[in-house]
Formats: sequence, structure tokens, C-alpha cells
Amino acid sequence: MAALATGGGMPSDGATSFQRKVPASSRLATIAGTRPSVRHGQLLLSSGLPSLDCVLEEDKYSIYSNLLFKYFLAEGIVCGHNLFVASAKEDPADILKELPAPLFDDAHKNQVNEKETAIKSKQESQESMKIAWRYQNLPRIEVSPAASARIGHYYDVSKMVSPELLQSTKWHRFFVPEEMSLHPEIKTCNMTCGYTRLLQSIQRIIYQEGFDGSYPQKKQKNILRIGIQSLGSVLWGDDICCTDNPEDIYSLTKFLYVLRGLLRMSLSACIITVPAHLIQNKAIMERVTNLSDTVVGLESFIGSERETNPLYKDYQGLIHVHKIPRLNSLICDVSGTKDLAFRLKRKLFTIEVRETVLFHYLEPERWSKSYHLV
Amino acid sequence: TPLWPAAPLRSWLIPVSSPLCASRGESVHVFGFEIPEEEFLAGFDPDVTVRLLYQDGFTDPLRWTGEAGGFGAEEFTALGVAGRLARGPAGPATVVLDSLSWLLLRQPLPAVCQTLGRIPRAAASAGLRVTRILALLHEDLHPPGLVETLRSLAQAVVGVRPAPEGMGSGEDAPRLASMLQRKGTGKVLTKEEYFTVLAGFTPKALGEPTGSVPRDEDADPHSTVDPTANLTFNLRLSDTERRARDGMPLPFHFSAQK
Repeated sequence: MAALATGGGMPSDGATSFQRKVPASSRLATIAGTRPSVRHGQLLLSSGLPSLDCVLEEDKYSIYSNLLFKYFLAEGIVCGHNLFVASAKEDPADILKELPAPLFDDAHKNQVNEKETAIKSKQESQESMKIAWRYQNLPRIEVSPAASARIGHYYDVSKMVSPELLQSTKWHRFFVPEEMSLHPEIKTCNMTCGYTRLLQSIQRIIYQEGFDGSYPQKKQKNILRIGIQSLGSVLWGDDICCTDNPEDIYSLTKFLYVLRGLLRMSLSACIITVPAHLIQNKAIMERVTNLSDTVVGLESFIGSERETNPLYKDYQGLIHVHKIPRLNSLICDVSGTKDLAFRLKRKLFTIEVRETVLFHYLEPERWSKSYHLV
Repeated sequence: TPLWPAAPLRSWLIPVSSPLCASRGESVHVFGFEIPEEEFLAGFDPDVTVRLLYQDGFTDPLRWTGEAGGFGAEEFTALGVAGRLARGPAGPATVVLDSLSWLLLRQPLPAVCQTLGRIPRAAASAGLRVTRILALLHEDLHPPGLVETLRSLAQAVVGVRPAPEGMGSGEDAPRLASMLQRKGTGKVLTKEEYFTVLAGFTPKALGEPTGSVPRDEDADPHSTVDPTANLTFNLRLSDTERRARDGMPLPFHFSAQK
């Protein structure tokens, strides 16, 4: 068997002397809201919904894509990350005001009266355990993952984030009409102008705030979460949504290419929503998919014939996972579950495997608990 | 009398909505490019016309004569529009563009959309409050991608087309309006309604389509989709299958056969 050796040492009795060098990034594990992935040594952070650092293809009326966009930013606030919000339509300050409020989960509350519940549950279990009587004297332990291994929070969509929490967050903004008014000699902002300015702005923030390690000793390391809303839409000055023969078909892809470079060399993650259903030339979305780490499409049932389908009566739409990240790895895309459905109840947005939708329909009492996908 | 094939939108939409705005005490600024001012104002009551401020973009669109009061295509910028609005009375204002199609034939769509988005801000800095912008569009003049993009940007979209044959009677041909409204809470409301316009530009609703108009996907309006049909697996067992299943020894059970 092949042995990989680093820095000397002969392989003995078939064992390899390969030693995985502890990557320098393990020191980054102290950044709040992140944990290192054991598979590829990258830092993982939560997007508010599990594992969606990505390009989001917007649903028809942009309702749910905006919701996921807000989840991403809200998670940044709760973890204490820095935010960069870019939009051409909505003022970033208004976007931030409408972020969902975090639901501090019951584990926190339980810590306060944990002993109480442990006693109660023990009494219950003494009556019920006939077969497993040997275990009934053990205290009921909460089977929850260790705090450090668990990242991510739940949010209440019906409530807005508190202003105090917002004020404690450091954030930066880019609003296209504002940028245009700063430079009144430019009458209209074409795509090159808009995208270039956005890249310059992001680069400046990354450098000034030290996300690329330019100030290594000074500050506590933190993550920059970038959210760009409706990139490629008409309000950014791009015409890929109105014609299939646009003026500069590569401006969006050039922007993504440069942005990717900026993200790779800094501690940042980005979510971009794209009105893919409006982009006329399908080759553009193919290129965007190639240039992104994760691509997820949202399809809402509003106005489609699926709205009246009884199978989907509790659901608001489908999620199509077009691409999952393959950073620092040679394996190909092996995820089995690509078909997902989502539903938005009063408070929570949950994603489920689409096959379970049929089970819900057939035996709703039995499948009343939804299975959250992690 | 409106000529409905040629200009189905304008002929009734502005006449209907302007009195509504005027009655609320708002001023209505109309940027007209397609028909002359006299033709536009014909048929309105005097108390409506006093609230209507017409910016004439029809007489001299390219500004060759340079007469004061005209509005040229290149003046359609946020500052240009706000400047015209400032000439009117203070207070809430509605901006009407007749038509957006005319502007889109002369300026690229991204520029027009950016200008539309910036008009409220530019007006606010001049001390005015633009409550709504109403833009008319001749759908058949533009590629579908452009129309879809505009629909996605608008908060409310009203589409007008002639009603199917056999609806209504009389000289006023009824029309079908399909409305789509996006509310702030993220809800999307859609509605379809037949209507006609009576004398004096008052609209009259004629009721909603009952679905007697045949639709493509489902001829029978009472049948719903059955999700248990067309599955790739069996949901129910026949008797023989059930017996075969019951007689099967499970791998981890001791049985006489093993």
C-alpha cells in the first residue's frame, strides 16, 4: 500500500508515516459561530439554515429567496459576525430592520430548571420501564449535541430582530442609487459601473477591517458575511434579464469570478440571490453555477398548478439543490437527496425531503413530526 | 369613445384613476408622450382637470423647437422628473407615464428602471411626496423578457385584454382585468375581473370569471389531482401478495427452515 511520508520516517509494517500537519486554520476555531470541518479543513459557518452558503435562484416573486437571505444575515448578527449588505432595490438599513428575531432554544431555558425536570422524568420512567428496568435509575440526559459542535440557531419569522441586537452589530452597506447619487455625473449606472463599484467596496472593507489577515495581531478574528440581493437584475444596470442578447454577457460572470477570489483569500462568506427565472440566456446561469460553490433554486407554489395539489397543501415550495460545495476535495457530488420541499409555518421555515411529502399526505397522524434536514 | 384595440390601456386607465386620485386631494402629474394634451383631457370634469398637470412630451419630443413647457425624452431622469413635479403644488403626488413603452423605445430598460426607482427620492429631496407611479405599457410591443422583468419590479400589475366572446352586451365592450398585487408582508394576491367603463369614466365591475371558460390543463373543474396515482411503487397489496409477504421468513428470526 502506498505510504505518504511527510518529513522523513520510513513506513514500518505497512503503516503509513503520513502525518497530517495541523493546519494553521485550526487556530481559527476560536472564531465565534464557526467550526472547522474535518473533511476538508475549511471553516464551516451556519447560514441560519444549514449549509446554504451559496447562490440562490430566486422564486418568482422573490418572497422565499429574500427570507433565506435574511436568515443568513440574521445568523451573522447572532454570532457576532460583521455584515456587508448590498442591494439595488431596498435600502440595506431597511433590510436589516426586517431580519427575523432569533429564537433562543429551549436548551438554554432548560439549564435553569434542569434538575427539576430530571426529577420529574425519573419519576415517570419508574412507572413505565418494565423491560428496561435496569436503566430507570439513570437520570434523563438531554440528548443534544455539545455546544461547540452545534452551530446555527432558529428564528421566529413573525418577529423582527430587536434594535439593540442590531446596534451591537457592525455592518457595511452598498446601495446602488446611493452610489449613483454620490457621482451625479454618471447618469445611469450600467452593469460594469455597478459591479465594479461593489467589488471595490467589498475589497476595501476586507482590507480595512482585516478580514484578509492584513492586521494579524491587532484584532480578534471575525467573519464577514456578505449578502448581495438580486444580482443581475435590471436595477444593477444589467440587461441580462430583459434580452437574450445582452450588451455585455460576461459582466455578471466576471464579477463572480473576482468575488470568488476575494472570498477565498479572506474570512468571508457570501450569499447572492439571482433572479434566474428572468435571465433569458440560459448559458449565463450555467456559468454562474460553475463559478459558485453552492447553487440552490427555489420554486414557490404561488400561482402554479401545484398550489391546488392536495399533496402540497402544507408546503409553500420546492428547493432544487443544483450544486453543493466541493472545496479542497476530489470527490464528486455524491449527495443522494436532491429533491426537497419547504414549508413556512408561523414561526419556522423547515426543509424536508420531498419523498416524505407523500407520507404526510397518506398518514398525517403518523408523520406529524417533520424531519429537519441538517 | 375609446378605441380599444389600438390603445386598450390608456383609454380607460388614466381616466378612471385620475378622478380617484384627484378626489383624495392629490395632484396627478401626467407625462404624456403618445397623444396630444387636448385629446387626453377630453371628457374630464373640471374639478379633475384642475388637479391634473400635464407635461407635454408629445408636441416636441426631440426638442427641435425648444419651446418652453415641453418635455423631451432625454429629460426623463430622476432629477428632470422631480424638477417638473416641483412646479406643481406641494403635497402628495401621483406620477403617470403615458407611456412607458414610448420611453423604452428611446432609452435602455436598466436606465429607465433606475430612474423610476430614484424618482421618489429625488422628489423627496425637493420636498414632495410621490405616493405612486403609474406606468402604462403596451405589452405587445416588447419582448416577453422585458415585460416579465417589469412585472417583477412592480408592486401591482394590472393587465387588460378584451373579454372573450359572448360576454356582456351593448356598445361598451367589456374587458378582462387580471390584477396582481404584492403586499409588504410577502403575500401575493391575484384577481381577475370583468369590467366595463361607463360614461363619465366610471368603472363598473361585472364579476369574476366563473371558470366556464375552458382552461388548458383541466377540462373538468371539479377533479383535483390525486397524488396517489402514477406512483412507481405499490401502495396497496393484493391478497396473493399479502400472503406471500406474511409467509416470508425474516433474516434475523430463527425458523424451522434455517
